[in-house]
Amino acid sequence: MLYREAGQFKTSYAGDMAIFPIRQDRIGLAILLAFAFVVVPLLAYFEIGPFGHDYIFKAILIPFLILSLAAIGLNILTGYCGQISLGGGAFMAIGAYAAYNFSLRIPELPLLFSILLSGGMAAFVGILFGIPSLRIKGLYLAVATLAAQFFFDWLFLRVPWFTNYTPSGSVNAPELNFFGWVVNTPAERYMLALMFVTVFAVIAKNLTRGNIGRQWMAIRDMDIAAELMGIRPLYAKLSAFAISSFFIGVAGALWAFVHLGSWEPLTFNIERSFQLLFMVIIGGLGSILGCFLGAAFILILPIFLDQVPHAMGVPLSVETVSHLVYIITGALICFLLIVEPHGFARLWAIAKEKLRLWPFPY
Amino acid sequence: MTAVAMTLDRPAAVPKAEEREILLSVENVSLSFGGVKAIRDVSFDIRKGEIRAIIGPNGAGKTSMLNVINGFYHPQEGTITFKGQRRHRMAPYIAASQGIARTFQNVALFKGMSTLDNIMTGRTLKMRTGILGQAVYWGWSQKEEIRHREVVERIIDFLEIEHIRKTPVGKLPYGLQKRVELGRALAMEPELLLLDEPMAGMNLEEKQDMCRFILDVNDQLGTTIALIEHDMGVVMDLSDRVVVLDHGVKIADGTPDEVQRNQNVIDAYLGVTR
Repeated sequence: MLYREAGQFKTSYAGDMAIFPIRQDRIGLAILLAFAFVVVPLLAYFEIGPFGHDYIFKAILIPFLILSLAAIGLNILTGYCGQISLGGGAFMAIGAYAAYNFSLRIPELPLLFSILLSGGMAAFVGILFGIPSLRIKGLYLAVATLAAQFFFDWLFLRVPWFTNYTPSGSVNAPELNFFGWVVNTPAERYMLALMFVTVFAVIAKNLTRGNIGRQWMAIRDMDIAAELMGIRPLYAKLSAFAISSFFIGVAGALWAFVHLGSWEPLTFNIERSFQLLFMVIIGGLGSILGCFLGAAFILILPIFLDQVPHAMGVPLSVETVSHLVYIITGALICFLLIVEPHGFARLWAIAKEKLRLWPFPY
Repeated sequence: MTAVAMTLDRPAAVPKAEEREILLSVENVSLSFGGVKAIRDVSFDIRKGEIRAIIGPNGAGKTSMLNVINGFYHPQEGTITFKGQRRHRMAPYIAASQGIARTFQNVALFKGMSTLDNIMTGRTLKMRTGILGQAVYWGWSQKEEIRHREVVERIIDFLEIEHIRKTPVGKLPYGLQKRVELGRALAMEPELLLLDEPMAGMNLEEKQDMCRFILDVNDQLGTTIALIEHDMGVVMDLSDRVVVLDHGVKIADGTPDEVQRNQNVIDAYLGVTR
């Protein structure tokens, strides 16, 4: 009943082209942002409810935000531009190690710039590994990006320069000092991740609804027609690779610095790549909202399976839980690919569409 | 205003077809795929402001000809002169940026995008904001987007597809898809519009609508049109001049009346053992 757009007339194209043209959506988003930016830190500060514990930040919120950012990156490439990539983990690793080396070797560089530069480094490598996409498509391209995954796993494991010759190969993140703001407690780390994700989500939305986003989707939907309309596949595809890798690289740097704090070479292995791809498929290809839904699902499913049967008095062993996660994720992917290839995001859109007419559908 | 201000009510210039200057000329073009000769030594020209039909039986090389003109195929021999520039081969990007737009025999819309976005894609070459500007989507880049939206809205108006503006094109019926595709080509503000069977698979009413749109585009925008069509009634009514291909060879070229009386054309269509 509340979700009605009746009476909301657009008198300008700017209003019609806004990210959230419906007023209720804008109010909902404002409430959500106010909760995330103000209420959660306050609850954490006064140690009220679940937000009083570090667990919810360390195990759920911080990884959720950072993986959402990585999923947005992958969605730009796979969902919007239609280029399947299995190299997500590799680009996260590049971001992490680039940020580590920038802050180690150029100590006077502010941390924010090290992180952004690490994204730039990932973008550069992304362009290199995107070049095959000009010739090959689909499954073959996925195999080419898989090569990136194995190459960088090998590189960071075998070339000690990247890990600054530490004997174990494990490296530690520097102190998180953002222009004087030392990020330390889980709640502060959460705020940092939240700010990054908010800014980058807005950027991603702007890109995908603008000219470059239309070029990506044109290449995805019908590349020959796109070319004959003056879209250069070289520019469209490589820009998608660059921007996607930039996002994933920044996410990798945040994952290493903000979430983990110290990490080993195989942290960003092929499993991470698959995880990102599953998030994008389950959440919704070609949807920014879907990235958040997919990340939330993939992250919360194991925790849910661990906690809920336990609370109901049916404790499952750790192995059973991890097997169940595989089974449910796999089954859900099959189900979604058949029933709704555009994932949770489309289901959400359909639900909203229904809600507009509820309770008097015609 | 400049290129953006596309006027849909430009007064039509009306010199006779033969007196107009040549916009595009195809000279001695031959195209083969391995041993198959799709086009053999074909020459013809398209004059500014005319509607030029290319007809012929199935497999005559009509679509190949369009593909040569907008650079998708590269002919082994011959040259293409467009707006005085002579080329041995056209690249699709150059063809598009010089003002050649086209529609496809099997609708080639971007299925996952809305009607509006599909037509907006036609404005790609006219947009100047870089990636960073688009990432901000504020000030200049937003103004540019709105300016192009206005042009696109005028095209939507012209083609009478306001009601499906936000509908994903994959969900539209075939006749409307064809119309959206025409809109996407028009958004490029082409000088030469290539239409590959714009009326294939349409019912009578849809055909009449499409004819009206083609004539209006030609008349009001002054766009030169080259079309391939199998409906002879339509071809003879719409076009100023007709070129007839058969097995990759040009067998006739002239006004609809001349072509209809041409013995080679009659033979090609009815089938004659030589």
